[in-house]
Amino acid sequence: MSEIIENGVTTGEAVETETFVPESELKEGEDQIHIRNLSKTYITDDSQTVVLEDFSLDIRKGELITIVGPSGCGKTTILRMLAGLVQPTSGQILIGNRECSGPGADRGMVFQDFALFPWRTVRKNVEFGLEIAGIPKEERRQRADKYLKIVGLEKFADHRVHELSGGMKQRVAIARAMVTNPDVILMDEPFGALDAQTRNLMQAGLLRILEKTDQTIIFITHSVDEAVYLSDRIVVLTKRPAKIKEVVNIDWPRPRDRASPEFTALRKRILEELEKENVLD
Amino acid sequence: MTTILNWTYDENNRYHRWFRTTVIAIVSLVCFIFAWWDISVLAGSVAIPTPLETWEALVDLVNNGDPMTGRSLWQYIGSSLKTFLLGFLMALVVATPLGLIIGYSRTIREFMNPVIEVLRPIAPIAWAPIFILAIDYTIGPILVVFVGIFFPLLTNVVFGVQKIDQNLMDAARTMGASSVQVFYKVMIPSAIPYLMNGVKVGLGIGWMCIVAAELYAPQLSGIGFYLSEQATAGFWPGAFAAIVVIAILGIVTTGLAEYIHKVITRRMGMSNV
Repeated sequence: MSEIIENGVTTGEAVETETFVPESELKEGEDQIHIRNLSKTYITDDSQTVVLEDFSLDIRKGELITIVGPSGCGKTTILRMLAGLVQPTSGQILIGNRECSGPGADRGMVFQDFALFPWRTVRKNVEFGLEIAGIPKEERRQRADKYLKIVGLEKFADHRVHELSGGMKQRVAIARAMVTNPDVILMDEPFGALDAQTRNLMQAGLLRILEKTDQTIIFITHSVDEAVYLSDRIVVLTKRPAKIKEVVNIDWPRPRDRASPEFTALRKRILEELEKENVLD
Repeated sequence: MTTILNWTYDENNRYHRWFRTTVIAIVSLVCFIFAWWDISVLAGSVAIPTPLETWEALVDLVNNGDPMTGRSLWQYIGSSLKTFLLGFLMALVVATPLGLIIGYSRTIREFMNPVIEVLRPIAPIAWAPIFILAIDYTIGPILVVFVGIFFPLLTNVVFGVQKIDQNLMDAARTMGASSVQVFYKVMIPSAIPYLMNGVKVGLGIGWMCIVAAELYAPQLSGIGFYLSEQATAGFWPGAFAAIVVIAILGIVTTGLAEYIHKVITRRMGMSNV
């Protein structure tokens, strides 16, 4: 059953969606998020771990930027700081002109382990952010259903989360993050827990959803293949404490062909760079 | 696979599994009754009536009630259940919010823990003479049941709050939820399966407490009183009949609690807890 449903993502083109109206005044391509001299040190009783030191990055409105780096380099910490879940030791994050000081509905987040509420139905999960925003019941339902349609799960609106496959769960989580129309969506290895086939389908599905939006996506991944397939820009990080090793611009049209020579060449080059970082010292 | 009279047992068929369990349970109970009978005959003591004598006393109790007080069995049971339910409700109303707060706030947890750890190991029945003789014979047994159910409920709720998936709270916060909203939209629902687990454990302990507490409160006329009355008078079959009634009611209460626990956790999609 789940295979047919996974395919629903790829055949979901017929869904009519309006273009999202951005809340900020920024135009696409302008710098939206400024990460300035960000540092993070975790202090425990007997050790200090510098996860991030003097990290700066500008992220443009509407781009899909992926951050790749060796394991444990602090990618997730960067994302959690952007989400406001972790406070930086020093430095600042500006979103538009506002300083980010805590979590907010202007930034949606998709977690690797889905983080869906098991006691809620699929629709109620998607409605969560709208409930918090105080949107009336009727409109909540309407908007949730619209997004469930976008991710191809409208038939599963009344199901419980545990009845869904991993790929379906993550589509619910994506719908839940997008339904409040945040300026930025933060994705923390969203497809990391899925099998390779589902993962590819989800990547294609995500791109199709994003065609209709101008939301900025910041995407953390382990998979260079995923990064090359999805990104407008790839930020390659060094080992801990993370610094930017390279920023790769990719302006190839989508959908990208994984078998094409330039795709494989780029993937190979980034992988090699990461391998240099992964050397155990 | 076992073949009995052209009938094949199939482990994957739930009715077959259910049938198997039932047959074994019946065999187990029959063995138990025969063992009891054996001991009764071998001991030759009037204090151990045979299952048959007990059964006759039970039938007599169901039909004619207690000739010594003129009360029916149902009045005894009703009185016990009333005390039990009131104690249970009190424990639920007090332990649930307290457990949520203790689980939520570290300061309150550190403040409450010493008190809880001092009081928790005390057998609830130890309070019976104090509560009943010093306070009141109607409120006393209720308080004993309350104490019995309170601690398993409290510890389960505290545990439940502390076991909450941090990611769920983070997810709620990234959608703009305030601490108060996180508390009642994430923490409370997350803790419910643990609360139900506490209810399950607590009902069993509470039921043990009620009978013991009633031994100190003859005015209440619960099933525990009937038990002590019969034993005091030397009507051993009657006392054993009372124990059978207590056992049946205990099975019904815990069975009910387990059923509710199962239904709620399944409905909440959290049956793995």
